[in-house]
Formats: sequence, structure tokens, C-alpha cells
Amino acid sequence: MTATTPEARPRSARAVTWTRRRRSWARTAKAFGRSRSGMLGLGIFIVFALLALLAPLLFPASELDVTKATGPIFGPPSLTYWLGTDDSGRSVLALVVWGARISLLVGLCATVLSMVIGTSMGIAAGHYRGFRGGALDRLTDWFLVIPYLPLAIVMASVLGRSLLNIIIVIGVTSWPGTARLIRAQTLTVEGRPYLERAKALGAGNLHQMGKHVLPNVMPLVLANTTLAVSISILSETTLSFLGLGDPDAVSWGSILNSAFSAGAISQGAWWYLAAPGVCVVLVVLGFNLIGRALEDILDPYGDGA
Amino acid sequence: MRSSTRRTRIMATCAAIALVGGISTVGVVSAAADTPSPSASSTDSVLNVGILQDIDSANPFTGVAASSYEIYQMMYPTLTNYAAKDFSTAPGIATSWTESADHKTWTYQIRPGMKWSDGVPMTAADAAYTFNRVINGKYEQTNFGNYVANITSAEAPSPTTLVLNVSRPTPNMTHLAVYILPEHIWKNVSESQVQSYKNEPAAGQTIVGGGPFLLAQRVVGQYIRMVRNPNYYGKAPALNEVDFRIYSNGDAMGQALKKGEIDFADSLEANVFNSLKNVPGITTVPAIYSGFDELAFNTGAALDTGKPIGTGSPLLKDVKLRQAIGWAIDRQTLVDKVLGGLGTPGSTIIPPLYANQHLDPANPVTYDPAKANALLDAAGYKMGPNNVRVAPNGTPLSFRLNGRTNSPSSMKTVQYIQGYLAAVGIKATVTNISEDALTQKIGEGDYDMFEWGWVVEPDPNYQLSTFTCANRSYLSGGSITANLSDSFYCNSAYDALYDKQGGQTNPDERIATVKTMQQMLYDDAPYILTYYYDDLEAYRSDRFTGFVPQPAPNGALLFQYGTYSYENVTPVSATSASADSSGVSSALIIGLVVAVVIIAGLVFALVRRRPATGVDDDRE
Repeated sequence: MTATTPEARPRSARAVTWTRRRRSWARTAKAFGRSRSGMLGLGIFIVFALLALLAPLLFPASELDVTKATGPIFGPPSLTYWLGTDDSGRSVLALVVWGARISLLVGLCATVLSMVIGTSMGIAAGHYRGFRGGALDRLTDWFLVIPYLPLAIVMASVLGRSLLNIIIVIGVTSWPGTARLIRAQTLTVEGRPYLERAKALGAGNLHQMGKHVLPNVMPLVLANTTLAVSISILSETTLSFLGLGDPDAVSWGSILNSAFSAGAISQGAWWYLAAPGVCVVLVVLGFNLIGRALEDILDPYGDGA
Repeated sequence: MRSSTRRTRIMATCAAIALVGGISTVGVVSAAADTPSPSASSTDSVLNVGILQDIDSANPFTGVAASSYEIYQMMYPTLTNYAAKDFSTAPGIATSWTESADHKTWTYQIRPGMKWSDGVPMTAADAAYTFNRVINGKYEQTNFGNYVANITSAEAPSPTTLVLNVSRPTPNMTHLAVYILPEHIWKNVSESQVQSYKNEPAAGQTIVGGGPFLLAQRVVGQYIRMVRNPNYYGKAPALNEVDFRIYSNGDAMGQALKKGEIDFADSLEANVFNSLKNVPGITTVPAIYSGFDELAFNTGAALDTGKPIGTGSPLLKDVKLRQAIGWAIDRQTLVDKVLGGLGTPGSTIIPPLYANQHLDPANPVTYDPAKANALLDAAGYKMGPNNVRVAPNGTPLSFRLNGRTNSPSSMKTVQYIQGYLAAVGIKATVTNISEDALTQKIGEGDYDMFEWGWVVEPDPNYQLSTFTCANRSYLSGGSITANLSDSFYCNSAYDALYDKQGGQTNPDERIATVKTMQQMLYDDAPYILTYYYDDLEAYRSDRFTGFVPQPAPNGALLFQYGTYSYENVTPVSATSASADSSGVSSALIIGLVVAVVIIAGLVFALVRRRPATGVDDDRE
């Protein structure tokens, strides 16, 4: 370390770290590529993501306007309406494709929120000892034991029905599981000698958590995120089905809700119920496959790699 | 009789929905899960009626829900009734009545020898007690005050004579829908207790009443048991019992009727109703009805003192804007798509069922978006950015629109209204909330527009009173209390006419006044009526017969102004045993499969996390 070498390779500590991380990413990506089920899940996700992004091109927004619907009421699947029509004569296919936008958006945003809360709570609870750590831990416990659905319903009713609120409701109610997981991992990371060294060199709490613990729990966070997305999407479907979603936004849950209240079951309009239902199942399956594959690769406790 | 009810057509609020959600993610609720079992007996003389709305109170001074009024009129008699055939006046406990020459006194002859269900004689004294209680009460006025507005006092000079003294000639003295209560029970319920008095039966005891059936048991959200009153003054009903079973979902109720768990289903949604047609053993009745739904505006919320309240958009005070909206709404499509064609486009607030009072406006407002646009342009609402018009003062025409989560029809209607308004450059932000929450918001003037409806009584007085200045919200103990007016319409000319019709004893003159008032409301547009709906009813004609429609021949079979069907229904002879073999429909199976798959997905997602048993493989 006495003088700079003439080599062009960056030598700063940061650059070294990033090079290592890039390699680690590449290794993960490669391992993921070898996982057949993981790639299947990714494929499903990409298909739905494309549908969601291209929805305005595939079906103009006016197809969702009940006043402009021209189809038959509860028309079965036909060449014109591939997935049949709803009780207002709208194409169920158009509804499902537009529904993918909201379902995926809410699912992803709520997961990000839940992950941010869960990870910071988990790391903090694992890092701090004594009263502060205990308090954070009890708070996590408290959220963990509150029955999820009633809490979400109460929150959604109090906050009012909008897209942002449903994201908040799901995010705020689904973080404790992640926090638990991250806390456990934080404890093992904190037990390692180099953290001891960092402490001895005068690293503060934030530095220890941000620079040392966080990068080490990140793989776990990532694996957990993909699994949490499917739960968020199911939660969004549940809440929208219960009529707590944004009434202006078509999501899979709200399609199921309108199918249910419009009497689709009595009418035998199976396509109205099955289409959004199958979509939910597929997307949830996709995220679970991705999550599982990632977990196998990244989870420090896993048996996969 | 139940005009004080804003009728809630479907489904209970979040609590019930939460229950459904607890059962399954997709919410395919099997009918069985929803069906209470009031009694093990399934004898033929028990009529099981499926309803979608629980009663809100068994106390007639408190309840406002349509179902509550059905219970009240089964339990308690009235002086006079509305005839089943044509809503004309028919004897109740009063057999005849006379008005004094000076129009200041009405004398009713009360049937002799009547008894309450507990054996205590039922006399004119009970009637006088009830009327005086309403006249002198405060809380008692809420539901019945409008009937006794002109009555100064009630007297019972003999057990068979009731005298009502009135301050001026009064047209509706033969339509007093005040339930006569047993004095020996209610005198123990003080003025301070009455608001919280539940009037629900103790174990094994029925409520003391004088109508054909008595409340025997109530389980909130599940069922209401009514048993026959042995001391009923009229013809003894063939039914031993009428059980009301409460469903939270119309589909489940339709399935229950198919499977024979209930014998009668009321207030069905069009889609469920249509699926019951042509089912063997079931007769469907699209009954003409006295209900309408409307798009209501906040025309300038204020207290009865005139002090402005609430958050309503001031733009909606402009009658030209409201009129233009009237031209933007396709009422026929609403009837076709929301009601499945089982209704008629709405116009004025007295429904065409009451043909002699209903006004068919000479200047009908129809669906004409071009005209709506032209009217808005002329009124100075120029098209602004994003296809939303802008008022001359720069405010965009963007309003809140509330639908009701309790009613699928309502939520569907607001979707259409939102689309129609967008087409003429008016932005509506839809929020569906529970009827309880909406009532609160309306009372406080915290709204722009909403969708709701009324069931209109044969006598127009009550309905007309919902637009008077005096019936706007009022201050009670420092907080704003909702009254009947939900549009905050206030027009002194209208109030004068309302007062005038309240004293017009010549029917033709009164009807002329009532029609003028309807025209006034039609032109000022505090409401835009969307449709008059049919009451969609279906029953097991293989089990029961003898339902009496009101009015004849195609009116409602239950939920009438009277208890005619309950008194006349008889079981079909036991020869045709009900065929229960129909089984479950394929759609239900598919729905269940989807539910199971989704639940499985959820379980899979949750169980995914394996226990952390491995050792740290130190991956960095």
C-alpha cells in the first residue's frame, strides 16, 4: 500500500467493494438462470408485466367505461370477447389486462414499503441492545400477533379508499415477518469479529448498520421481497374484493368483487370469476417460483448452494 | 308507512363483508354458511322469508330501515289501513270515522272487544295514549311527527271512541301511519328511556302486540322470528310463524330459495332474479313498486336557521348546472343495464304507481349530451384542460360522488353517472361508503352528490316534506343532527305550497298543489331521478299460495303497506314434496374451485418460509 501501481484497475475501497458485489450479482444471476422453476416464474412475471405496461395500447381506456360498453350482458367467451363480458357488457379480457396494472403496481409498491419498514426495524432491533432493542422487538411482536385482515380492513376504512391508501395499508400490516427474519440475520452478522473491529475503530451505530449489517442481510431481503410480493398481491385482491380498494381503479380483486355482487354465480358466468382468479394464481405462483429460486441461491441458511 | 326509510336494498356493511372475507378470499359464500336456523321445525305453516337488510331496531320510535317497518306493521295495528287492491283507505282498528262540521275534530269508532296478545283489553285509550305520546314527545316526533303536525290532542271518551282534535282542516287523517302501542307496557318506558329502549323479547316471551304476528326472537344479523298472535282482531292467519332470515349477499339468497331453505326472497338484484326464472317450483314477481333512486345534489347545505354548513361545492347551487346534468344522464340505459329492464326511467318524486298524484312533466328532460354541452357552454362553463370544464371563476367542474356499498345497484349506477358526466366535461370522483356513513355526511353537508333512493308512501305529505327549509339539519346539543332534507333545497314558494297542501281537504285541489310542487322540484333539480325500480320478489309456489299483491294485480307480495299476504298465505297441500335434488350450480362449483386455488396459493406463500435449521455458510 505504499504507492499506486500503474495498473488501470480502480483501487479505492469503494471500487473494490463494487467489483466484488458485481461479481456476486453475476454469480447469482448465473445460478438463477440455471434454476428452471425460477426462470418459469420470471417468464410469468414478464408476460404479466408486459400486459400491464401495454394495456393502453391493447385496449383503449374507453373499454372500461360502462357507458360506452357495447357487448352483451354476461356474454360467454366468444371470438369478439375472448373472455366473455361482464354485467355491463364490458370485455372481461380488457378488465383483466387493465387490472394487472393495479394489482402489480399495488403489489410491488406495498412490498417495497413493507420491506423498507421490515428491514430497518429488523436491523435496528438486532443491533440495539437493552431497552431500545427490546422495545423495537416488542413492537414487532405486537404487530405480528394482531390479526392481519381485521387490522387491514379497519385501516382501509379509516384511511378511505384510494390506491395510495391500500398500498399503505398492505405495507404497514405486512412488515413484521420480514423484521423478524432480518433481526435474526442481523444478530448472526453482528457476532462476527470484523464488526468488533469496526466498533473498536470508532464506527457509530448508523455506520455499523448501514455499511456492515445492511449489505450482509441484503440477499435475504431480496429473496424475501419476491415472496412478499405474492402475499401483497393476494392482500390487494382480498381488500379490493371486500370493496376496500380504489373504486375508480380496476384490479383483479375489484373484478371479483363486482362479479360477486352482480350475481355472476347465479348467472353461471364462470368466465367473470375465473379470469381474474386464474391471473392472481399465476402471478402469485410466478413470484413464489422466483422467490424460492432466489432463496435457494441467496439464503445463508438455505440448503441450495 | 315505511316512508321514513331510505330503503337499503342490498347487503350489510363492512362488518358483514369482513365475515365473508374471513370465510374465503374470493368470497364465494355457500348459502349454508350464511343460513341461520331459527328453529328445527320445517313445518309447512312456517314461512321463511329471505331478506338482505336486518332491522335496525324493534322499537318503532327508533327504526328507519324498511325491514323494521315490516316488523312494526306485523306487530302493531294502525287506525286505518291502505287497501291491498288500490291503496284506498280501509278499516284498521277503527271501523268508521267522521269529521266534525268545523273540520276541527275527528272521531273514530274503535272495534269493541279487542285484546292485546297478553290478554289486556285493547281500547281507544291505548290509541289516545300513543297519539298523545307522539304529540307531546320530542324523540317520538322523529318517526311520526309529520303525521300529527296538525293534531293538538287525542282523547278516548269511551273504550270504542277516539277523538283527535286538529288545528285546521287536515287531509291525511285517514292515513295516519302511527303504530298503536299497548299503554300498559309503554307507560313504563319513560321519555328518557325511549331512545335506548330495545323492545326485544325476553326468553320464551313475545313482545306484547296487537297485529297478526308477534316478535318472538331476534338474533342480530341472522334472523327474526315472528309468531302468530292468538288475540289478533282480524282473520286468524294460516301461518304459525314467519321467520325472516338475513342474507348478506343476494346470490346466496337466490341459492337458498332454489334449495328450499327459504320460501320467499325479497329485493333481489336483477341478475339473481333472472336466474330464478323458469326454476320449477319458483314463481318470480317483478312487482311494480313505490320506490325511486336519485342523483342528489348539495344545493347549498345550511341549518334550518339558514347558517351555511358543510363542504359542498358552491357551483352546485347553480340550477343551470344541475339542469344540464339532467340532460347528460341516460336513464333508459340505467334501467336496462342496472335494473335489467325491470323498472322505468325516473322523472318526478311521486312515482307513477300513484297514478293520480304522479306528475308526468310536460317538459321531459331526456338523454341529450349535445344539449347538456350547449347548456353548459351557455352558462359560462367553458371546456378547460383534460376535458374538464371550468367555471367563470376559474374553479374546475370536479365533484365528489358517493355511492353506497350496501347496494350493488348503487355502486353500478354511480359508475354510469361518472361516465355520463365525463362525457360532458364534468369530473366526478366516486367514493362508495356505507349508508350509515353517508347519512352522517349528508346531515353535515359534507358531500357534493350522492346516489340513493326513497320508498314513497301513498300519502304524499311525507315525501314532499323532505324538501322543506324546516327539514334541513338542525343543532341539537351543539352538534349537527340530520333531518329529512338531504339536498338542502330551500325555496319559500315551495314551502308555502307544502303548507297549503297540508290543509287542503278537497282531494283534487290537493293533488293539483302536489303536482305543482313536483314540477317545481323537477325544474329546480335538487334531485335528478334515475329510475323507478320494481321490487323483485320470488317465492316457492310449490309450497305456499295465496299471496295478495298490493296494488292488484302486479304489486308487491310482501313489504307492502299492510300485512295482507301474511294473513292470507296458506301452505300448498303436502302432496308435492319439495324437490331438493337440484344440487349446486356449476358456477358455484367453479367459484369454489377458484376460491380453493387462491387459498391454496396463499397458504403456499405463507408456508413457504422453511425453518432456519442450516448453518451459516458464510456467503459474502
